Amino acid sequence: MLKNYFKIAIAVLKRRKFFTFISLFGISFTLTIIIVLAAFIDNILSANYPETNRDRSLYIISMQQRDPVHQGQMSGPLSFYFLNHFVSTMKTPAKVAISSLFASTNTYVNNKKLVINVKYTNADFWDVLQYQFIEGKPYTKQQINNGEHVAVISEDTKKEYFGDVSSVVGKYIEADNVQYRVAGVVKSVPVTQLISSGDLFLPYTVSKTDYNAKTYMGSYTAVLLANSKSDFTKIKDEYANIVSKLPPENKDFNEIHSFADTYLKSFLSFSNAGNGVTIILTVITAFILFVMLLPTLNLININISRILERSSEIGVRKAFGASSKTLVWQFIVENIILTFFGTALGLLFSFIILQVINNSDLISNIHLTINFTVLFYSLIVCLVFGLLSGVYPAWRMSRLQIVTALKAQ
Amino acid sequence: MIKHLFKLIWNKKKQNFLMIIEMFVSFLVIFAVFSLLVFYYHNYKQPMGFDYNNVWVVNYSSPENIQNNDSLTLFANTLKQMLRSMPEIKEISFTSNNVPFSNSTSNSGFNYNGKNVMANTYNAEDDYAKVLNVHLLDGRWFTSADNVSKISPVVINEKLKDEMFGKENAVGKIIGKKPDQLKVIGVVQNLKDKGDYQPIENAIFRRMDTAGYKYATILLKVAPGTDAAFESKLFKTLSNAIGTSIEIEHLDKKLVSKNKIFLVPAIIFIIVASFLIINVALGLFGVLWYNINKRKNEIGLRRAVGASGNSVSKQLVGEALVLSTFALIIGSFFAIQFPLLNVFDLPASVYIIALMFAIVFIYVLVIICALYPGKQAAAIYPAVALHEE
Repeated sequence: MLKNYFKIAIAVLKRRKFFTFISLFGISFTLTIIIVLAAFIDNILSANYPETNRDRSLYIISMQQRDPVHQGQMSGPLSFYFLNHFVSTMKTPAKVAISSLFASTNTYVNNKKLVINVKYTNADFWDVLQYQFIEGKPYTKQQINNGEHVAVISEDTKKEYFGDVSSVVGKYIEADNVQYRVAGVVKSVPVTQLISSGDLFLPYTVSKTDYNAKTYMGSYTAVLLANSKSDFTKIKDEYANIVSKLPPENKDFNEIHSFADTYLKSFLSFSNAGNGVTIILTVITAFILFVMLLPTLNLININISRILERSSEIGVRKAFGASSKTLVWQFIVENIILTFFGTALGLLFSFIILQVINNSDLISNIHLTINFTVLFYSLIVCLVFGLLSGVYPAWRMSRLQIVTALKAQ
Repeated sequence: MIKHLFKLIWNKKKQNFLMIIEMFVSFLVIFAVFSLLVFYYHNYKQPMGFDYNNVWVVNYSSPENIQNNDSLTLFANTLKQMLRSMPEIKEISFTSNNVPFSNSTSNSGFNYNGKNVMANTYNAEDDYAKVLNVHLLDGRWFTSADNVSKISPVVINEKLKDEMFGKENAVGKIIGKKPDQLKVIGVVQNLKDKGDYQPIENAIFRRMDTAGYKYATILLKVAPGTDAAFESKLFKTLSNAIGTSIEIEHLDKKLVSKNKIFLVPAIIFIIVASFLIINVALGLFGVLWYNINKRKNEIGLRRAVGASGNSVSKQLVGEALVLSTFALIIGSFFAIQFPLLNVFDLPASVYIIALMFAIVFIYVLVIICALYPGKQAAAIYPAVALHEE
């Protein structure tokens, strides 16, 4: 039966090439937008290089101090002192990576200016985040404690600063007016990954600000690596316990809030107190529905027009006893077949667009791909699209009177 | 004639209903696109109000060993002396972190005669006006004479002046209540310091006080043609003098990246919208074309009783236009809510202009889509059409 529907669908598609083109154009373009969007979201959310341990990591990226009397609040990243003193000593996480949010500085090579994003880290940073070393190795705990001026640089920085040379380990790079010996070179990370992106990684001990200043707020964040996902509640509880016992720094701002959360949750609560996840999901769904609305209406209109073309066929089938249900079903299946063709084209277009984005300098080092998650979602969207644009015309078609249908031609 | 067209459409209201919805939604999309374009153009057209070429920004964090305000001021003055001794540097001013084209903002409410107005606040020194070449419209900028003034002097921008004082003269007026009173000493032309496409906001400039040097940024006006060699020398000198991390930026480059933040989403939106519209146009064209094939008998009959080809094609285009008028009436009803309810705080004129553009655009689109099918209809021979029956 399905085979027959398939044959009929192909025959109909071939009949009026212009209409087929309009339908396919609408479907494939809609799917392209949705696939590109899905690929982008997937890239931000999934555990990409070097944050491959993300599914068993918790993030602490901010603290909020509230003044309940005057309704005031201060929030921001934490200090190294706080993270080192209270978080590193926690018992439940396996390892704690501490790093500063990147800060820009300049360096000048051959009278050319380079803007360099500097990130200060501890030694565990290199174990929690799986950077791929092109050459050399990370600096050790010993080197950090000695306050050695060593650095790990990104591949992009190597190219821009040293040019096309094979090995730079042991050479010196000057940034912020200080010479650092290069210990290793890592593959670059796009800026969309705030925690792991950077051009120059340095031991926290060489930071120009006092890393031992006894304050809670600063410019550092932490990634807590758990032994397994099941430890998450234990870690969260331990951290909540620590935060609840913190003495207030300031007598007015005596409510302290800070949470260890999974990646997405921690970032959404960073900018939006409360249910950020729901808001983001609503916005994305609304956008997708809006993008799909016009092509769906368009497809419905065209489908309705095309029914008449087939009125004799419908009339004959009805006259020989086909029920309305069969006809509706047939039409929907045909429409879904059409949307699948459109999806195939859409995948092709989005593949091309993603290649263009990857190779352009829009976001350097980003690598967008169509993976199984994206493919899965686009197939669901395609199915919904096919149903939405097929149901109404099919219903209209099934209600055609046999006499009128046969008489029309 | 129009009454007749209405009747024709009414008879097929079921079929036309979806067409109207489709046009209605496309109208809303077009309205959104034009609102955005008109708004951006409206902002782009405004004069910049200051000169950002050859202005550099030095971001630094204050050395931690200097804590009290007086020593910070002393430190800033030493830096200033040092920078002034360089021949490449023409003007110099310390200011708050919200320098032009940066992402940081700082605002607060100001009260005059019971009216509370929000405004961006900037800390500025006496030379700030010279560094950015700010255009004074009325009054004067800060001078060293303000050291002794009892009430803190402020300079406001034109927009804030209009909002707070209307047609009255602003210079000499006192804002706020004791002990935080401020005296307006000057009015400057609006500074478009958030980027080319951003709307102008209220601005109030306060004279830099000793507390301000804790979180300060340095603005430098350098001689034209100053190159990276000098910049690296400057970087070294400042880095040694300040001791903490510093960064030098150029205002013209900051403007480019600031504009990008606004343009990239707008361009993506316009690309998506134009594909939607192409889609709709093709669909409209297809449906109209199809309808003509379906109505061959009717058209043939009309031709047989004497209608010219021209009038047949006019009728079809007219029908499409009446159909789109329905959609536009519903669409305009929704669109007009935007200026009425003051959604997104855009000026009403932006919405009105966008509404007109959108209406014209939809009409033109419909005419283009209906023209070819109409022409085809005109070419129908009555004999052939009626023979088919």
